[in-house]
Amino acid sequence: MSQAALSAFPEPAPAPAVETVGLSCWYVPGRPVLRDIDLAVAPGSICMILGPSGSGKSTLLKVIKGLLPLNAGTLSLFGQPVAGRTHARSRRALERSVAWIPQHLGLVRSLTVLDNVLSGTLARVGTLASLVGAFPHTLRDEALATLDSLGIRAKADEKVFSLSGGERQRVAIARALMQHPTLVLADEFVSQLDPLTTREMLDIVQGIARTGVAFLITSHEVELVAEYGDRVVFIRDGRKIHEGAANAFTFASVMTLMGR
Amino acid sequence: MRSRRPPVFLITAGVAAGLALAMMGNLGLLDAAQLRRGVLNTTEFVRGLFPPNPQPLPTLLGATLETLQIAYVGTVLGVAGALPLALLATRTVFGPGVTGPVRLLLAGVRTVPALLWAVVFVVAFGLGPAAGAMGIAAYTLGYLGKLLYEVFEGVDGEVVDAVRSVGCNRAQLTRFALLPEAANGILSQLLFVFEYNVRASSIMGFVGAGGIGFHLLGYLQLLQYRNLFTALLLTLGVVIAIDYLSGRVRRMVLPPAPAA
Ligand SMILES: Nc1ncnc2c1ncn2[C@@H]1O[C@H](COP(=O)(O)OP(=O)(O)OP(=O)(O)O)[C@@H](O)[C@H]1O
Ligand SMILES: [Mg+2]
Repeated sequence: MSQAALSAFPEPAPAPAVETVGLSCWYVPGRPVLRDIDLAVAPGSICMILGPSGSGKSTLLKVIKGLLPLNAGTLSLFGQPVAGRTHARSRRALERSVAWIPQHLGLVRSLTVLDNVLSGTLARVGTLASLVGAFPHTLRDEALATLDSLGIRAKADEKVFSLSGGERQRVAIARALMQHPTLVLADEFVSQLDPLTTREMLDIVQGIARTGVAFLITSHEVELVAEYGDRVVFIRDGRKIHEGAANAFTFASVMTLMGR
Repeated sequence: MRSRRPPVFLITAGVAAGLALAMMGNLGLLDAAQLRRGVLNTTEFVRGLFPPNPQPLPTLLGATLETLQIAYVGTVLGVAGALPLALLATRTVFGPGVTGPVRLLLAGVRTVPALLWAVVFVVAFGLGPAAGAMGIAAYTLGYLGKLLYEVFEGVDGEVVDAVRSVGCNRAQLTRFALLPEAANGILSQLLFVFEYNVRASSIMGFVGAGGIGFHLLGYLQLLQYRNLFTALLLTLGVVIAIDYLSGRVRRMVLPPAPAA
């Protein structure tokens, strides 16, 4: 290829953080929970997934994280196919880059906040050191700084079970960030929070997204979608029935999509 | 109109009761003469127990101490084996290729009662408390191993998935999710098994495997019922004391009710 031909494409578009084509998934054969989902999330963007209860939002995040197998279609992370046995190796290699914040946060209640946050670094510390709790000082400092930026450094030594819902949410974010992810899958991220804290958390998310981290967030809160999302995807009965820019999305759009 | 279902419950109960009656006949429990003899013998036996003879108390105290040591050492050795095997049998951590054989092994060990294990170890080690402790250890391994893998599998799957998905290995997953989440359950089962083992140790002497059981059997065979009564009272006292102590530990360490 000549020099001139190369310069005709000075900047190839970066591969999407997630890309699915015709993704389908079922728990019970013959009863698909997700059908034919096409999705692409650009690096550094925030994609909001909306849909009524039971529409398959959590399932979609689990398939992307690799916790559930996809039964049809393709799934790529950062341009690399990861679904199926043949791609198990690339899936493992990307494990750390994809953080998953489950619907109920998945925190270890009887461990301290700091230990929960440090567990986000497990893939990059030696097994033996981590087993005896000897995390490098740099990681400890990073964990404390992350807690500080989320406003809960003072709680570092408290057990998670003694925290409020909003505080737990921050711990879950901190653990995810300690993975140094480039894609964060957040399920019902702000559903437990009061409106003020919700905005605080989403402001933080926006700040992180600006550093190049892509977010896929499921939500029920229509007003927040337009304000904080870049794209919005609406799922109903396992099908994608709408995708578009988030800023034009309103409650009226939802009513139309739901056929009301 | 309500459809009349056959009274399944009544039929089942009737069949069960009929079977029990037939078997009681086989076992001689319906033979009036034998029953009368039984009652008379028991009365005589109970009368023979009084008053308990304090004279063998020093010997019996030594034997009781040995019983407790058999129970304690057997429990500790059993736990040391049961914990790693239980992890290997946990389906959320290992695949069926590992969990299957380990479960089979645990089930196999469990089919042999503690007393029979003691016989096996008497053959191997000779008469004495070492065989008793090993018998208790073997049974504990099989029994506690099952209880513990059930505790591990009872850990909230979302927590396990959340920690696993940071990209950690199985040892780290155990240290940072399974053990802390299961700690209360593990302790509770440990106390339960220790209480059980104190009882089991007190009859190890029946097969020459040490402890107070040797004296219990001896007094019974020599018809020294007053001595027997002293030994029984002592055993009863120890069992009650251990149950009480382990209840105290339970209340001290474990939460009073399952957290919401
Ligand atoms: N483990 C499972 N086995 C079988 N079916 C399941 C399982 N988990 C979810 N489902 C079904 O899949 C469908 C989608 O569930 P999912 O949890 O993805 O919905 P959701 O959009 O996240 O709902 P919500 O807003 O209530 O969280 C539902 O009909 C649900 O009953
Ligand atoms: Mg959900």
